[in-house]
Amino acid sequence: MTVESLFEALKKTLDEYEPRKAAEIAQELLDAQVDPLKVIDEVLSPTMEEIGDKFDRMDIFLPELMGAAEAMQAATSVLTKHIQTTTERPVTKGKVVLGTVHGDIHEIGKNIVKIMLEVSGFEVFDLGKDVPSMQFIEKAGEVGADMIALSALMTTTMVSQKEVIELLKALGKRDDYIVIIGGAPTTITWKDEIGADGWAETAVQAGKLAIELLEKKA
Amino acid sequence: MVTPPWRINEVLDRAETGPVCLERDYDLKLLVPGLRRVIKEYDISYDPATPVPQDNTLADNIWKAALDLYLEIGTLNTDTHRRILFTEEEMKEALENFPGKFILGFGRDSKEIAHRKIEDSRRPFCLFSPDITCDEDLFVPMSMAYLQEPLANGVCAPILDEVEGMPIRSGYPSEVKGSVAHAMMFREAARRVGRPGIFLKSVGTAESDAAQIAASNVEWGERLTDGRFVACITELKIDNSLLNKMVHFHTYGCYVGCLAGPILGGYAGGPEGTAIVGVAYHLMGLLINQAHFMNYFPFHLKHTCNTMRELLWVISTTYQALARNSNFVSMSNGFAAAGPCTEMVLREAATHGLVSVVSGSNLWEMAVAKNRHKNYATPMEARMAAEVGSGVAVSNISRGDANELALSLLKTYEENIEDAPLGRSFPECYNVRKFKPSEEYMTLYRKIRKELEDIGVPFIY
Repeated sequence: MTVESLFEALKKTLDEYEPRKAAEIAQELLDAQVDPLKVIDEVLSPTMEEIGDKFDRMDIFLPELMGAAEAMQAATSVLTKHIQTTTERPVTKGKVVLGTVHGDIHEIGKNIVKIMLEVSGFEVFDLGKDVPSMQFIEKAGEVGADMIALSALMTTTMVSQKEVIELLKALGKRDDYIVIIGGAPTTITWKDEIGADGWAETAVQAGKLAIELLEKKA
Repeated sequence: MVTPPWRINEVLDRAETGPVCLERDYDLKLLVPGLRRVIKEYDISYDPATPVPQDNTLADNIWKAALDLYLEIGTLNTDTHRRILFTEEEMKEALENFPGKFILGFGRDSKEIAHRKIEDSRRPFCLFSPDITCDEDLFVPMSMAYLQEPLANGVCAPILDEVEGMPIRSGYPSEVKGSVAHAMMFREAARRVGRPGIFLKSVGTAESDAAQIAASNVEWGERLTDGRFVACITELKIDNSLLNKMVHFHTYGCYVGCLAGPILGGYAGGPEGTAIVGVAYHLMGLLINQAHFMNYFPFHLKHTCNTMRELLWVISTTYQALARNSNFVSMSNGFAAAGPCTEMVLREAATHGLVSVVSGSNLWEMAVAKNRHKNYATPMEARMAAEVGSGVAVSNISRGDANELALSLLKTYEENIEDAPLGRSFPECYNVRKFKPSEEYMTLYRKIRKELEDIGVPFIY
């Protein structure tokens, strides 16, 4: 197969949610001496962006998005092993500590944000749901995170987003991390009120916002 | 008949001893492939041209698919990582022993809520609810505004996010304090409008089990004739805190509701999967949450509303499946995209009431403005849905007629769902001292009502 046809086949594995095949084709591309960064930049990232946009328009649904993300991750994990040993470029765009805030057990939005961040090239440390505020800060320090992402689905748990920011300030660590927030009851006004750095209305927008804010910081 | 509850100890035992399953595996290895299988096996497909299908086979197949799916995957307890599974025999026992009607509230103000059939001519039970947070000083006026609505057979209060100047945080002492205040003020509001025995659904302020338990008090708080909710975790999951509530409510002796909102676009996938999960939630509500009634609000992942075409199909098919195959008592909870005092929200409310009632549901109306803006809800939206829903029942319109009306109504707002107008907040379109809608809103209401009547939408009076 030519490199072009392998590119096409790899794209198809994302469209058809075939992780095993995606990993095999990624290996074939490496065997053909194709630069793994070229594969990520020219095939995986744009395909996943297209799929993310389709999801944002609700042309496809969460199971399909998760299937595509799994295929992309399977291919990326084969490719990144090679990148680490051959280039200077960082493998990830940044590290994000993510979770649903204390008192809140809603995870679906947070899980979609996780996918969008991962497929956008971030390393995500998912703390799950009902996460105590200090745990976000401790984890961010432990892994050297660039960003903390806080999800809340209830008006009585949104306050925990504010608490994380207040704790960061009290500990003198507010400038160490970009803090983004999201979740159904949150708004741009709430983001401004609590002093977060960014707010996204949808999970797909959260991925784009994270990239934008990190680029701005750099 | 005594159920629910149905074999509480059996459920609690299985919640700790059932097959071990990780949450991700439950979502992706059981639910998603299970849904794909039953959609194919029972040949279920969404048709955008018929938001109100008239196909009994489709309704029955959705019921069979949900039963099949739920028997296969059961409910996951996310704390114990155990699946709670049931046999077909147990399912039949619980279904056959469900009474299908209850008297909610007490005395003169009490009202029967019952299972409804497709095109049922009995008026639906209408519960009026703002479904949103409000400022503390608006809690009583907003509650009274809802409680005085003539078509309200029951009312759910707004949610407090502040009490005595303290922000309420789930799991904190402020939540217990806020929940007690909520229960006390709501009782006071009901008495002040002269309906002390009306069915009250509370306490929305209490997210945690501890705060719910704190509000149970016959003298000043939640009574035995009131209703409480045990929610589900998306999709078809539960945890120990929710089971704590279930055990408490049943041992306390009040009515128990199950709150279930499958997400279109989420793990349930498209309209077909969402409707099947919707029916499965009713089975879960009976067997796990041990509910007397359901609050059912399928909604759109992105737009957090359910008045668009796909969701109307989901609502209609879910209720048709339940109406033909069970004795469940369920309220269809509307979620509108537009906010109060807009033409769009009144059209959305009318459509939701129309589609729900003709398909076999009672009403719970209504969350508006995509359910995300504090103080944005008024009784007028619920009034529109209830006037139409009650009119639909007594006028005996058919599913076919309702489908044509829904299609006409969709044309007037469907394209504006994404950028729906926010409208006005409760204090901006209500006199909060007299609990009366503004003249502007009343004029708008009359105008839209006239338009709806002109195209054949039935009203109760």
